[in-house]
Amino acid sequence: MSKSAQSPLSRTARLLDLVPYLATHQGIELSRLARDFSVTEPEMIADLTTLWMCGLPGYTPLELMDLSFESGFVTIRNASTLSNPRMLTEEETIALLLGLDLVIESLPSEREDLRLIAIDLVARLSSRVNVPTKLSAKPSIPGSVRAIIQDALHKKLALEILYHSSYSDTVTSRLVTPIEFRDENNCEYLWAFCQRVGGFRSFRLDRIQSAKLNEQTIVEQGTLVEEKAEKISYTLRSHSRPRAIMERFSIDKSDYAGDLPAVAFSYEWIQRSILACSGSVELVQPASARALIVRAARSILERYKSG
Amino acid sequence: MSRKIERLINLTIALLATKRYLTKKQIFSSVEGYEGTAETKERMFERDKDDLRNLGVVIELGSFDPLFEDEAGYRIAPEGYALDLGAITGIEIALLSLAAEAWKGAALDRSAHSALTKLRSIGVDSDLDALPALAPRLMATHEGFQIITTAISKRERISFSYLSQSYESELRTIEPYAIATKGSHWYVAGRDVAKSALRTFRLDRIDSEVIPSKDGSGYEIPPGFDLLASLDLEQSAHLAIVDIRKGKAQLMRNAALSIADKGEWDRITINYLDSRSFIDLLLWHGDDVLLIAPESVRVELTTRVGEIIDLHV
Repeated sequence: MSKSAQSPLSRTARLLDLVPYLATHQGIELSRLARDFSVTEPEMIADLTTLWMCGLPGYTPLELMDLSFESGFVTIRNASTLSNPRMLTEEETIALLLGLDLVIESLPSEREDLRLIAIDLVARLSSRVNVPTKLSAKPSIPGSVRAIIQDALHKKLALEILYHSSYSDTVTSRLVTPIEFRDENNCEYLWAFCQRVGGFRSFRLDRIQSAKLNEQTIVEQGTLVEEKAEKISYTLRSHSRPRAIMERFSIDKSDYAGDLPAVAFSYEWIQRSILACSGSVELVQPASARALIVRAARSILERYKSG
Repeated sequence: MSRKIERLINLTIALLATKRYLTKKQIFSSVEGYEGTAETKERMFERDKDDLRNLGVVIELGSFDPLFEDEAGYRIAPEGYALDLGAITGIEIALLSLAAEAWKGAALDRSAHSALTKLRSIGVDSDLDALPALAPRLMATHEGFQIITTAISKRERISFSYLSQSYESELRTIEPYAIATKGSHWYVAGRDVAKSALRTFRLDRIDSEVIPSKDGSGYEIPPGFDLLASLDLEQSAHLAIVDIRKGKAQLMRNAALSIADKGEWDRITINYLDSRSFIDLLLWHGDDVLLIAPESVRVELTTRVGEIIDLHV
């Protein structure tokens, strides 16, 4: 457990929050209680032992809180003074407000009833916090798509997804076996075995246009062997707007000097990305790809001259 | 250490249970844990009050009878201590739980988790079955996130170094107004103190620690300030007409205001923010798109394509 969770102040906060939690979860298992408060069992026993010594002035058995936890199940009596949960802190309120806004944006349009309930909650919470601004969170991924994928992972079923590939700018329907969620460069990906290409691919969640469970396919996780995608190394030279280039090509800040080394998985993606920097960046290596960029650029120019 | 914690809990219980203000003398004689000389007790008590305040527990100072000049006393008003969201239903608890769980693994995970514990202590069961299957998730891992949200609620200025367009680190100081997420990025908006103007910053471009400062704290946030609305406002600045090949340019189709069928091609109208980033977007799509209007952007685009050719021949 981290040190801060054991500082006197955070322990005090935890004890104050423990009392109302126990009052509404009488007979809870010690192990579950420890988990719910993100501490180890010995730490939880230490907390309960401390709490056991507390109560109203007088401190006779009549005034002390009555805790029992020897059996591995925890009950509390005589704790009415602290039995109401504490007020939310500002940070807790901000976390809930941003979370609620995301929930509101993720609700399907036919659930107007839930939207109104959530908006009312936002109003009730904001009136209690010192933030006059609207806290906004727009989901980049429909909440329902992630829920369906989670369901598939949980049930070990295959998924049918409609996927927009930005490399080739096409929308394709694919049957995939989901393996796990991955986070890269602030984006969420689904790592999955794609039946269509017969290999592992990562799918950006915000490009999955729809997903549905495929009940027929049962996944044999053990038979799937991870394949390494072919990496292409290339070199760039920045001529203007370096920040945009560093971000677009996901180049590490420590590599920012002179010619920029980068890695990608598709020539098509490299070509599109170079064009989309509209002259701010030059592809130095490989030379063969330089020629392809010139050809693509000339064909665009011709369209504008003839159009 | 346990003794200090016991004392803080006992003090909270005593001050919460009392209907009248307790004087320091009464506290020292009745609450367990205050020992030593008068001066020691006094120091302990001052520290304990600060500690409880840091935990968000509000201790009131007052006197029982204003007509007599008796010694001031202390108490904790239950309404200032306990969570009060009014009558709450299982569906509301379920929505709040979903809101808290969206933070799993992200910046405010800890606060969201402790909020959830408090909500679960109300004693109303979450009615999760009443909700459609949803798993929204907030991605925010920037170390400065929590400092920024705290600064907004405390109205404190923050300073950080920010990567400019030219990829140079610039020191910025702002009075933060709001934090919001759109797409896969988080933004913080506020008044840039040096420029004396509203500015928006992307969190992943902050390349230093975020340092809060008490200087100039207590500024006003415009009521109802909406960061995303102000971003959207900028983004609907100009209108363009573009032809796009059937079945292609999905990203532009999604952003289109209107789409008209022209056979092999579709003609769309679309908003853009500035011509350069719009040209970037058009060129990403290669010869699957053709800009029809405005003419000025068409001219700029062909110049840029000429530059690409010059760089690569």
